[in-house]
Amino acid sequence: MESFETMNFGAFARKKLNFLALLALAVMSFTAVPQAAMAQDSEDVSLVEGAVAEPLETTVTEAEAPGFEYYGPEMIKGQPVSSDEDLLGSMTFQPQYTDNGDYALWMHDAILMPIITVISLFVLGLLLWVVVRYNKRSNQVASRTSHNTLIEVIWTVIPVLILVVIAVPSITLLARQYQSPPEDAITIKANGYQWYWGYEYVDNGGFEVVSNMLSEEEALDAGEPHQLAVDNRMVVPVGVPIRLQTFGADVIHSFGIPSLWFKLDAVPGRINEKMLTITEPGIYYGQCMELCGARHGYMPIAIEARPLDEFNAWVQSQPGGMTRAQIEAQEAGAAAPAGEDTVEVEGGRSPASSAEDAPLAGEPPVDQAAPTT
Amino acid sequence: MATTAEGFDAHHEDHAHDHADHKPGFFARWFMSTNHKDIGTLYLIFAIIAGVIGGAISGAMRAELAAPGLQYLGTFVDLLGGDGSSFDQQGHMWNVLITAHGLIMVFFMVMPAMIGGFGNWFVPLMIGAPDMAFPRMNNISFWLTVAGFLSLLFSMFVPGGTGMGAGVGWTVYAPLSTSGSVGPAVDFAIFSLHLAGAGSILGATNFITTIFNMRAPGMTLHKMPLFVWSVLVTAFLLLLALPVLAAAITMLLTDRNFGTTFFDPAGGGDPVLYQHLFWFFGHPEVYIMILPGFGMISQIVATFSKKPVFGYLGMAYAMVAIGVVGFIVWAHHMYTVGLDVNTKMYFTAATMVIAVPTGIKIFSWIATMWGGSIEFKSPMVWAMGFIFLFTVGGVTGVVLANGGIDDNLHDTYYVVAHFHYVLSLGAVTSMFAGWYYWFPKMFGRWHSEFLAHLHFWVFFVGVNVIFFPMHFLGLQGMARRYPDYTAAFAYWNEIATIGYMIMAVSIVIFFVNILYAIFFGKKPEANYWGEGATTLEWSLSSPPPFHQFETLPVIEEHHSADDHISPKPANA
Amino acid sequence: MAGAKNHDYHILDPDIWPFIGSMSALTFTTGMVMYMHADEAAFPEGLWRIVLGLGIAGLIATFFGWFSKIVNEAQRGDHTPVVQLHMRYGMILFIASEVMFFVGWFWSWFDFALFPAPLAYDSAAGLWSSLVGQEGAAAAATFPPEGVHVLDAFDLPLLNTLILLCSGTTVTWAHHCLINGDRDGLKKGLWLTIGLGALFSAVQAYEYSHATFPFGGTNYSSAFYMATGFHGFHVLVGTIFLIVCLRRTYLGHFTPRQHFGFEAAAWYWHFVDVVWLFLFITVYVWGGWGAEVH
Ligand code: HEA
Ligand code: HEA
Ligand code: CUA
Ligand SMILES: [Cu+2]
Repeated sequence: MESFETMNFGAFARKKLNFLALLALAVMSFTAVPQAAMAQDSEDVSLVEGAVAEPLETTVTEAEAPGFEYYGPEMIKGQPVSSDEDLLGSMTFQPQYTDNGDYALWMHDAILMPIITVISLFVLGLLLWVVVRYNKRSNQVASRTSHNTLIEVIWTVIPVLILVVIAVPSITLLARQYQSPPEDAITIKANGYQWYWGYEYVDNGGFEVVSNMLSEEEALDAGEPHQLAVDNRMVVPVGVPIRLQTFGADVIHSFGIPSLWFKLDAVPGRINEKMLTITEPGIYYGQCMELCGARHGYMPIAIEARPLDEFNAWVQSQPGGMTRAQIEAQEAGAAAPAGEDTVEVEGGRSPASSAEDAPLAGEPPVDQAAPTT
Repeated sequence: MATTAEGFDAHHEDHAHDHADHKPGFFARWFMSTNHKDIGTLYLIFAIIAGVIGGAISGAMRAELAAPGLQYLGTFVDLLGGDGSSFDQQGHMWNVLITAHGLIMVFFMVMPAMIGGFGNWFVPLMIGAPDMAFPRMNNISFWLTVAGFLSLLFSMFVPGGTGMGAGVGWTVYAPLSTSGSVGPAVDFAIFSLHLAGAGSILGATNFITTIFNMRAPGMTLHKMPLFVWSVLVTAFLLLLALPVLAAAITMLLTDRNFGTTFFDPAGGGDPVLYQHLFWFFGHPEVYIMILPGFGMISQIVATFSKKPVFGYLGMAYAMVAIGVVGFIVWAHHMYTVGLDVNTKMYFTAATMVIAVPTGIKIFSWIATMWGGSIEFKSPMVWAMGFIFLFTVGGVTGVVLANGGIDDNLHDTYYVVAHFHYVLSLGAVTSMFAGWYYWFPKMFGRWHSEFLAHLHFWVFFVGVNVIFFPMHFLGLQGMARRYPDYTAAFAYWNEIATIGYMIMAVSIVIFFVNILYAIFFGKKPEANYWGEGATTLEWSLSSPPPFHQFETLPVIEEHHSADDHISPKPANA
Repeated sequence: MAGAKNHDYHILDPDIWPFIGSMSALTFTTGMVMYMHADEAAFPEGLWRIVLGLGIAGLIATFFGWFSKIVNEAQRGDHTPVVQLHMRYGMILFIASEVMFFVGWFWSWFDFALFPAPLAYDSAAGLWSSLVGQEGAAAAATFPPEGVHVLDAFDLPLLNTLILLCSGTTVTWAHHCLINGDRDGLKKGLWLTIGLGALFSAVQAYEYSHATFPFGGTNYSSAFYMATGFHGFHVLVGTIFLIVCLRRTYLGHFTPRQHFGFEAAAWYWHFVDVVWLFLFITVYVWGGWGAEVH
């Protein structure tokens, strides 16, 4: 943890706006400002205090690394649509920023939604028709029909056909979602803690970014939505396949981003994995989606997707952060192929485990993930 | 069979009335009961109390969710003797509320009302039996349910981790419920499920035995009213699903208190194992909550259409199919835990299959009405409301069934909307339908039909206003089990809370109607719904004698399954 | 009861035992919670002893009182053929639910055995810890976990298998004697069965107390002890059930044509037997295959 903390101070400090707020936060007592308490796990108080205590170091870092500017609120893409601005938009899915998301959205909007609407209206229509036509006054003598094989076959077969129509794209969608990441995918591990996220950059030196929710004032100051805004975003490359892994450090959490059509539980004792490729630079908000205790509602996720070179610049600005090229260069020099990848890959339930307990969702983990560095 | 309303001589009963109506004293009657009707009444009263508590808790939840920010949770914490200014305790309080709400509604409202209440009352009556097969065991089923409820109440007042009470959701997922919740609260909650579960298992044995062995002479399985069929299938689901839950929560207990590591990875345990075990129970459980409703709707629709149920056998076996398939779809609640692609495809396909038998039921109900001469008495209005609302809830279930789609919708308010449509708008609506259908029969007093209609319309508007907007919230990504949300979600949440207030009025009307019946209710006749009501309970006085069918009714050969719920065959 | 009852069903008088029984169950569970949290000062010191004791006493009293009533009713002739049929159904269904209960335990067993988790064993501390996400995880994923020394299936467990199988035959023998009016044989058969049952429990207790792995700590021990432990509990219940039958035999109960109490006990016993066979094969033999034997 030690090293993550130091890294964190840097990140805090560089966000000049938030720095002041955090300073205030460290000074204020926990109970006096419950909103502030939301943002910080009690254990992290020390972390914040540390940040205050060591501003010097952070300035130095900043001077060394080329200044990295985080996106401002104008880059927010994935967030719930406010009903005030766009009532219709607030009634459906958020716009999608992955290919699979687009496909799923299409499947919902073009197939599922029309089908279920028609079925519901059809049933409603039949009921209304029955009310009008077969009420006691309109139809004084009840028929005695209690069988009609043809109609029974019809209302069995047609639903089956409808379900087949649904199943085809549904299976396709699943297959797409489970494509295994290519070898050069960047592995990032999202660790769920009670109650914040830690993002481990496995392929980039293994540093971990700890991400806490901002308090309401802080969020508003930053022009970001309260309850979604965080101090340290999860910076990821755009357009590049990310091998996103999730892990629960204490209880089960779930890493869910509505606008990326992505949700994967962070379970203690297993490392889940799925591929994520974001198509546009921007900020995408998500939240913890599995009940994890008192502050389940207060551990949001904010992803900042940047072009690869900017991502690399950000990586280098992080303590211990190295780009892939740097790592390769270093390894070539040391000629000791420790294969930092294999370390993390071997986790999960045993690789011997198949089907339901596979540590990595989808494709057989080990062979896939172990890169040939 | 049902024909027997006419075929069977109701006057005959009247003679028996005097001695058959010899009732025990108050304590013996209500605390030591071995009478299925009294036990049924106890269950109904219990369910109403639980429904009011569960409904009040959901009112507290809706109040909190009416606007962003934390409004009332601190006050609730203070009420339970905690520290209301503690942010963690407030958050925990939310989890306690939803846990209590979910558990109460599921285990102490719907199940006791449907199976314990209506099942106890009408299964013996409909099959022409004098009582249940095991009258004494029937009673312990009820009192174990009460014991379970008390245990759940206890849990509210003891520490459960971050605050007072068990804040683990009705699903009680490990490791939040094990290492994540120190203190006795979760143990109390677990034992609550043990107790209620034991009661339900015993009840299930009782129902199955009764239905298999105590049908009146001549009533074959294929002449049995559909409500009895529905309880039969439900009882099998209970019998086979609940013990697995019992094992799972016993593992929670030993993990919590005796150092086992079933769900603790440090010892090689697997948190996902708990989910498998829970949902292996949990999914059949949702059908346990709806099948008796299906049964009641079948009776009601046939009665007021004055027609036999359309496709009787299809209706019965559709329920059997739902029950069977219901056991092999459980992992659709676990699409995001990291299942592999084949598993997910299988569960997607298997889950969708259930839409077919369910569709058969929906369309058969409509076909039953088709060509009928429908009277829109209050039970019928509720029944028609049920058919529509359940369909809406069912089709969103089909959306969720798609593993790839559920990746976005899982644990959002879309799921909350789905299951309230099938439960709060489905199961509860069918319960009210059954309530008005049989109220005069059970209690010997007429309710007000006007109030019953009013109850329906206000309830109908109210619950739709609560739960329809939740679909929007869910699509937008609003997560479940959150006490607070970002400003963008405010609008639809506010609407939902307004809906709650409308709905609350309807519950007041419901109680006013009971008072009306007590003070002004006229005495109903034996068969107050007239020619359409043909099952055996209508051959008895309202209320029926304390012990009915002292001479068993006989169902004659010529009553075929076809004129199942029909009046006299043409030649009679 | 009252009046013109024209059927063979058993209509019962009001009875207090269900109420007492369920309240005792609640007292028992409450006492259990208090006992399990006795060290947290959540409850007044020592209160749990009283509550738990009352609960257990109430439960025992309920079982005793309730079943005595059933026996009396049976002796009085209330159990007409149709009522006996009810009891058969009831017992079969009860056993079906018990089967599903064990399905839960086997499920966890197979989960652990088929998808083993990577565990590291610290032999000095006698503790296991998870290797998930760490080096060497794949190799460490074995079942039983490294460091667990299993019991030799073909030692005492095999003996116990034979004991139980044997007791299955003796109870059947007793049944045949009963049907053929040989009450002496019935008594002998029951005595033998009970003796074998007790022997089984004794061997099991001996084995537990000599197992090298503790109750908790690993998935293996958890699933092992809970599955075999619940089986053991069922053996005890079955033994008590048989003892009741034996006592009733001495009291002159049961006729060659009507003795459902005995049959229920026998069914239950066979059920317990079958569960053991599954345990023996999957837990002792297959589950410990390849592991170090104690
Ligand atoms: C009464 C209770 C009840 C009932 C009947 C159902 C019925 C169904 N449910 Fe639901 N469900 C719940 C209660 C219920 N559910 C609860 C409580 C949860 C949440 C638990 C929790 O997490 O806390 C849940 C959650 C849930 C999920 C998990 C969502 C998630 O957590 O991500 C899924 C996913 O597959 C699902 C699917 C279905 C389906 C396919 C049906 C089907 O049975 C529906 C079938 C009915 C119809 C389809 C309508 C009528 C049919 C026709 C008119 C014919 C034509 C139709 C077609 C061809 C489509 N349900
Ligand atoms: C049958 C089940 C049932 C019923 C009826 C209801 C009814 C209601 N529920 Fe809920 N609910 C659940 C089961 C149910 N619920 C479950 C399982 C959860 C998930 C918990 C979890 O996450 O763990 C949940 C969660 C849940 C949430 C989400 C909480 C969260 O995720 O943070 C919300 C939010 O608004 C909510 C609201 C409501 C409201 C406003 C009603 C209103 O409709 C309530 C109005 C009251 C009634 C309609 C009852 C009236 C009935 C009677 C008075 C008895 C009548 C008796 C006879 C006729 C005999 N419920
Ligand atoms: Cu973390 Cu919910
Ligand atoms: Cu389900």
